Amino acid sequence: MSSVTVDHVSPGHHGHGHDDHHHATPTGWRRWLFATNHKDIGTMYLIFSFVMLLEGGMLALLLRTELFEPGLQFFRPELFNQFTTMHGLIMVFGAIMPAFVGFANWMIPLQVGASDMAFARMNNFSFWLLPVGGILLTSSFFVPGGATAAGWTLYAPLSLQMGPGMDMAIFAMHILGASSIMGAINIIVTILNMRAPGMTLMKMPLFCWTWLITAFLLIAVLPVLAAAITMLLTDRHFGTGFFNAAVGGDPVLYQHVFWFFGHPEVYIMILPAFGIVSAIVPAFARKKLFGYASMVYATASIAILSFIVWAHHMFTTGMPVTAQLYFMYATMLISIPTGVKVFNWIATMWKGSMTFETPMLFAVGFIFVFTIGGFTGLILSVAPIDIQVHDTYYVVAHFHYVLVAGSLFALFAGTYYWLPKWTGYMYSEKLGKWHFWSSLISFNVTFFPMHFMGLAGMPRRYADYAAQFTTFHQVATIGAFWFGLSQLIFLVAILRCYAGKGERAPAKPWEGAEGLEWTVPSPAPFHTFETPPEVK
Amino acid sequence: MTPEQRRRNRIAGTILFVVVVAIFAWVVFRGSGFLGGVAGLTGR
Repeated sequence: MSSVTVDHVSPGHHGHGHDDHHHATPTGWRRWLFATNHKDIGTMYLIFSFVMLLEGGMLALLLRTELFEPGLQFFRPELFNQFTTMHGLIMVFGAIMPAFVGFANWMIPLQVGASDMAFARMNNFSFWLLPVGGILLTSSFFVPGGATAAGWTLYAPLSLQMGPGMDMAIFAMHILGASSIMGAINIIVTILNMRAPGMTLMKMPLFCWTWLITAFLLIAVLPVLAAAITMLLTDRHFGTGFFNAAVGGDPVLYQHVFWFFGHPEVYIMILPAFGIVSAIVPAFARKKLFGYASMVYATASIAILSFIVWAHHMFTTGMPVTAQLYFMYATMLISIPTGVKVFNWIATMWKGSMTFETPMLFAVGFIFVFTIGGFTGLILSVAPIDIQVHDTYYVVAHFHYVLVAGSLFALFAGTYYWLPKWTGYMYSEKLGKWHFWSSLISFNVTFFPMHFMGLAGMPRRYADYAAQFTTFHQVATIGAFWFGLSQLIFLVAILRCYAGKGERAPAKPWEGAEGLEWTVPSPAPFHTFETPPEVK
Repeated sequence: MTPEQRRRNRIAGTILFVVVVAIFAWVVFRGSGFLGGVAGLTGR
């Protein structure tokens, strides 16, 4: 980020300015139900996403329990497939995406010097759609036939044949998608229209930049998902035949439409993570971010490229060699801007006065482990290799390296980094470090063996397996329970801060941190920047 | 938030909402065929 000098900031200024918000802090249940304050809504997003993370995590542990030994121990294969599907849907739409929107709600107005989000009431509505969608999705386990078992991609023709649980999943995804679209509109308008005087686009913190680009991605691709699942719905109930081969439709068409959404979705879940890491690395290296402008352009390049690579998820459906070559090379291109980012983070750390508090540990852990996920993605982009390992545990390992060690670790890093600003208290560094090391090791114990299982031919989404995979599955199951239990440390660390245990946090607890959010007291007052700061 | 900011927010929000609806409609009515048909991938 270019150097930002604040000319006039009124920390916690409660003057009347030109804002017509309520000036007293509301109390009781009304504060939350009718919340229009970006900080309250951000907190609710984060709580919701953590609850969904626990739910999705419990489903993952049920899967790993069944897979501890070959043969069927606890669950019928149908129920196992319901667990895999719901684990994916809940983690993607219930945990990771809302968590990043929670960060956006909390931090974007503080970082651009705005008093709140542009559409405060719509912000409330977009949050309260989430529990509705989450409950709908979860309750689909209890209808006849159970929850959808078509995989998180909801591929036709399987998704055309399932019971009412499938309709509930479609409706839930519509609701969660609508919530995300409203969130994205709010973020774009807030960033473009509500920045403080002097806060030019190229002075914005990189977290705002990555979210601005992510929000445009959401606007562009969530309607595509909505259209795909609407077509599924009309195929199921209204006699259309978009994806139904029996009436002249084409199931492969669904895959094209889905992945036109699905690949940018991967970047929707990782670009804000890049923004968080780009805030933390300079703060703990005590240097300016290396190559700020190139980071912005790399983020935009990744977003643009994400639109033209979708069929690399579908090499096995059969396509002309020219198309395979195109999608293979286009996919490989993404490694260039991604590499720019990784090199910039490393260059930022180079010769910096580094310290390794928990946010920095998670950020460095992110760079290390996410890069492994990136490299396996590069390997998977090679069509002949992908055809061999398609739908094996190699793919499962790859995307968990990207989404758990990538997105989730960045979310942990961001939480520890901004927690003092949110709660007014410092977290326990001891607990944070335990959380980091325990998570990093157990994550690798869980997912590293999956690469080898996949290369040896272990297919994903199977409740049973050949005996030769037993040891690796047992290691992965032990790792998964260890990883799950490690998250209890995180919960304790957070709750201690909210309970007011720990040291009081100053306005700027991190020596090397930069940005407007550190100019307001900790915890951030209910109303901030009602008189916009001047940024030079 | 100034009245001018409010007005600009409303305009920007409306434009983005229209874009969302347009993409949804296009995918349902035309785009599904286009995406599947690009490079002759679905054999349609």
